[in-house]
Amino acid sequence: MVGFQLVNGLAGLLIVTSLLVILARRPGLSAKFYSLQSLVLVAIFIALAGVQASHELYLWSASAFVTKVVLVPIIMYRAFSKLDDPKLGSGEVLPPAMSIVLAALVVVLCYWVVSGVALPAAAAIKPALAVSLAHFFLGLGCIVSQRNILKQVFGYCLMENGSHLTLALLAAKAPELVEVGIATDAIFAVVIMAILGTRIFLTLHTLDARSLTTLKG
Amino acid sequence: MVSSNLPLLLLCGPLAVAALIGLCPRNLPAACFEFAHLASITFVLVLSLVIVGQVMNGSDLTAFGDWFVIDSLGAVFLLVIGVVGFLTGLYSISYLRHDVAHGALDAGKLKIYYGFFSLFLFTMLLAASSNNIVMMWVAVEATTLGSAFLVGVYGQRSSLEAAWKYVIICTVGVAFGLYGTVLAYSNGSDVLGNSEGAILWTTLVAHARALDPMLAKLSFVFVVIGFGTKAGLFPMHAWLPDAHSEAPSPVSGLLSGVLLKCALLVIVRYYAITVRAVGPDFPQMLVLILGTLSIVVAAPLFFIQQDLKRKLAYSSIEHIGLIAVGLGVGGPLGVGAALLHTLNHSLAKALLFCGAGNVMMKFGTRDLGLVKGLMRLAPVSGVFLLAGVLALAGFPPFNVFVSEFLVFAAGLKAGYFWLMLICALFFTITVGGLIQIIAKSVLGKTTGTVPAGDVGWGALLPMSILLVLILTMGVAVPAPVARLLQNAPAGVLDGPADVAVGAPWQTAPAADPVAVATGNSSHTETNP
Repeated sequence: MVGFQLVNGLAGLLIVTSLLVILARRPGLSAKFYSLQSLVLVAIFIALAGVQASHELYLWSASAFVTKVVLVPIIMYRAFSKLDDPKLGSGEVLPPAMSIVLAALVVVLCYWVVSGVALPAAAAIKPALAVSLAHFFLGLGCIVSQRNILKQVFGYCLMENGSHLTLALLAAKAPELVEVGIATDAIFAVVIMAILGTRIFLTLHTLDARSLTTLKG
Repeated sequence: MVSSNLPLLLLCGPLAVAALIGLCPRNLPAACFEFAHLASITFVLVLSLVIVGQVMNGSDLTAFGDWFVIDSLGAVFLLVIGVVGFLTGLYSISYLRHDVAHGALDAGKLKIYYGFFSLFLFTMLLAASSNNIVMMWVAVEATTLGSAFLVGVYGQRSSLEAAWKYVIICTVGVAFGLYGTVLAYSNGSDVLGNSEGAILWTTLVAHARALDPMLAKLSFVFVVIGFGTKAGLFPMHAWLPDAHSEAPSPVSGLLSGVLLKCALLVIVRYYAITVRAVGPDFPQMLVLILGTLSIVVAAPLFFIQQDLKRKLAYSSIEHIGLIAVGLGVGGPLGVGAALLHTLNHSLAKALLFCGAGNVMMKFGTRDLGLVKGLMRLAPVSGVFLLAGVLALAGFPPFNVFVSEFLVFAAGLKAGYFWLMLICALFFTITVGGLIQIIAKSVLGKTTGTVPAGDVGWGALLPMSILLVLILTMGVAVPAPVARLLQNAPAGVLDGPADVAVGAPWQTAPAADPVAVATGNSSHTETNP
């Protein structure tokens, strides 16, 4: 029971780190916070592995540590730190206080949705499950509420972390290959977004999503 | 089910060519890349046809411990990938030679183009043949990553913008697909108590009735939003006009003709699970609403476009909408008609995007205000474009007429009179837009600034094959294809699903028009 409480508690911490990723002013700092968030995610995986006696989740923890805590943040930090658009500023569309209030609303809404799920496996971890769903939508919110195209990449990463947590919570004994497939794809996605973001900056000299308006109609 | 190495072999071919091209230096002669590309698309065509032939004969193929399955449903899409992939790939060679010769494309980018073309084919084949639902998601996500550089290959401001929007919108959209996949897997894993089995689509379909209904519905909503983004369904279609218009024309043909359909296949796979888990009402209503909205929104936008390729892109949204309407109407005829329209639209749109490529080669622009009198300047290209436009407008004896007719017939048979009337009215708007293309750009007077003379035979050959296929499918759906389409709905629907799919004037052996008209058919339906 204590193990499940730990999982639910750590899941709450995940929301805090998400907000840090979203609200950080520079993409380089967001990359560091993303690494921190992924560390919390790995801790949840380990806690879950202990509670559910899942050998697979221990393997997930190891591969998630390599890909999400180390590899992806390094790729993003190295690619994004070189790109700066001073005219853009923070690139936030919403004030930080509003973002925090909206995040709380999303969590409450997701808890309401998750309360309708009747699976036995979900009974003890509904708060964490609600957080994983909310995390997914916070990522979407990050993409919508950021004008900086590099910050939009973090939105995708948050969505992916949310899906990953849901999978771990509901199917703790999923084969390792599932996790590897998802993680590998996420790495490629981040690499391609980083390459395209860099090419856009070099060609258009801006990171402002609102400047990408050549194509209309 | 027959265990076979053919699916794996099919996947290995284009992947190996993509890797080989990736390892080659950029400054190799163009002929080397063209040769590797030609080998790749021919390999995919031949092996796809062999596999589809085996499935037509009644033996579904499995490989790698059931991780890959090619059933009748998958075979329909494999056929599209093989045929349209080969013909747009063949067209690419002439088109890129022209682009390089006229400075539109740096010769060094040929390596990127041909390498990613094969990779793109590989990812689509993976999506069509995966039975592992996570692999299915990985494949669809990989199609975005594989084709993003093809969309942005010209490196101009507009193409980079299109590539960025394409990657961001589709990746985010497909993240919804991942969530839906995770929910479906978790649901299956919990119910079956078997983590290995729940990852297979065939197992989930077989045990769908035991799934948690709430999670099954939630999963389907996420899947439709996620993969619907990739399929170009409204309101997740925003990437499509940009990507289709900015990509090189053969890639536009591949995106519209094949990629959208692969994403649709994944939706159909989950539709099959959801129909069994919660009944047909919920999944049918969801796709019916999105399909209708896609038609209603895309038709006026199609009409007002001045950019030929952008116009065709909106037409793709509209036709994907019609396919979704077919699925939403449901029943063997609705699903069969939707699958036939998938095939027909792919051929017609590939021809039209190649036609748009010819227009680009002749006029150097996609602006319909500047494209005049193609028939006088380049008669063969003019005829092909004319035929493609007439096909897309749904005139007989072209193929799109047959499948559109069947979708509308299925809708009327299911009692959706007003909905079908609305769809028909919006399709009339599209016909108006297409007639404008014929009147001004194809048959209009030339401005005198463009020299006469057609594009090379290398570009015309694949278009002529496409036209022959369009006419063949329009006059009478060939028996093997009809058999494939007859078997495919059985894998989708819960219950008897035998339907004869063909042109209205084709006679099926088991046809009983009276029974069909009154809804009293037994197990085998015929088109009305």
